[in-house]
Amino acid sequence: MLILIAEDDELILRTVEHKLLKEGHEVLLTRNGKEAIDTIKEKNVDLVITDIMMPFASGIEILSAMRAFGKKVPVIVLSSMGQEEVVVDAFDLGAADFMVKPFSPNELMLRIKRLTNSLS
Amino acid sequence: MLNLVTLHELVLGIIVVLIFVLILIISVLIFSFFRYRSLQHRQSWATIIRQIITDAIVEGTEPLPQDTSFSLYLKIPSFRRYFLSTLVSAERKFTGKAREEVGRLFKVFNLEEEAWEKMRSKRDYLIAGGIQELTAMRVERALPQISDFLKHPQRQVYQEAQYAIVRFKGFEGLFFLDELQHPLSDWQQLRLLRSIEEVPDTHFERINVWLGSDNESVVVFTLRLIGQFQLLSYYPEVLTLLDHDVVMVRKHAVRTLQNLENKDTINQLLAGFANQCNQVQLEILKALKASKSKQTELFLQEQLWRHPDIGIKISAAEVLMALGGQSYLQGIVSSPETSSQLTQIVNHALQEKKC
Repeated sequence: MLILIAEDDELILRTVEHKLLKEGHEVLLTRNGKEAIDTIKEKNVDLVITDIMMPFASGIEILSAMRAFGKKVPVIVLSSMGQEEVVVDAFDLGAADFMVKPFSPNELMLRIKRLTNSLS
Repeated sequence: MLNLVTLHELVLGIIVVLIFVLILIISVLIFSFFRYRSLQHRQSWATIIRQIITDAIVEGTEPLPQDTSFSLYLKIPSFRRYFLSTLVSAERKFTGKAREEVGRLFKVFNLEEEAWEKMRSKRDYLIAGGIQELTAMRVERALPQISDFLKHPQRQVYQEAQYAIVRFKGFEGLFFLDELQHPLSDWQQLRLLRSIEEVPDTHFERINVWLGSDNESVVVFTLRLIGQFQLLSYYPEVLTLLDHDVVMVRKHAVRTLQNLENKDTINQLLAGFANQCNQVQLEILKALKASKSKQTELFLQEQLWRHPDIGIKISAAEVLMALGGQSYLQGIVSSPETSSQLTQIVNHALQEKKC
């Protein structure tokens, strides 16, 4: 499965990348929202994991862009404490799941597994 | 007689100025070189440290002792300090097993001494940093020393000590509220509240002491605590705080009553409404909006028509709208006898709903 991670925190990005590689997935890394939108447009990713607050374009803008160009790919949103309203917006735009930071990478992997199982 | 500068002196002067400029340029270049080198170091260190943390989280392993290059880095004090600060920042990003691994790295590489050294410093920001690091890495035996900083004159330091003690001991760590003289900032209150997981039954009498504190921020914090943990048995005490001298306390008492709401709450809020200042009245109106109680409609209509303050009128109209009084409000607007001011207020409330 090809998974795109959009996250501007290098440690989180690398940790999630390593976890996903270990689980046997292919991974695309993007460090800002614009880069993520461009990559999603170009590649056929199977899943997107995105932070809400990022430079150039937010996670919400990524979801809007995906809707605009008709990409129906499950998205897991990583939000911070106090961003509940934004999470509601994310669900309105089709987000499949969300996790609040600080988060457990193991739990994220479980959610990805659950999501991919339900899709298959 | 005029003292004319000779050509010789002029040349000397120019040479001195040139030498001075040259020294300045060389100094700037040397400074920039070292700054650049330090930045480069930081970048390469960041990559190495990130790799170690990621490996530990994913694989649960630390670098082997024979990894000589890393052992060499560990001998550089600035590298160790940077490693520690990165671990502290990583601790805030993860939970569960990943957080445990970060704590394990702290122990494996023996970085505790760096944090202690900071706490022993004379500079406030370093002391606060040391407290923060020892707390993040759960070095519980630092508690006695951290407690000593509760009485430190600098806010940065005593606030960090307060937070540390509550993170270690939870509710029991709030003992410093008994004698707190300084105001507890809003940010600090939220930080402390987030660190408390439960309020044990045996410590309820302490809450009474804080509710009666002369420090209004302690009273506000306690009200927030009661609201957060839904401590219903404190309802009567909170109710009496509607008569507190300080407006901020009364506002928070309204919010807390809303959290502890029972069948009498609305009537009790309405009963005291007339005696409150506008700020508290606005807070009561917010509580009425949240409660969605239809029994308040007549009261709200009265405020809309008769209250002298425009802010209260607007708020009453908004609450009426939220309670489904759209047709009543539209009736006011369509009546030719309605004053232009009231029409504007009601139109505003009707518009709010559309938005």
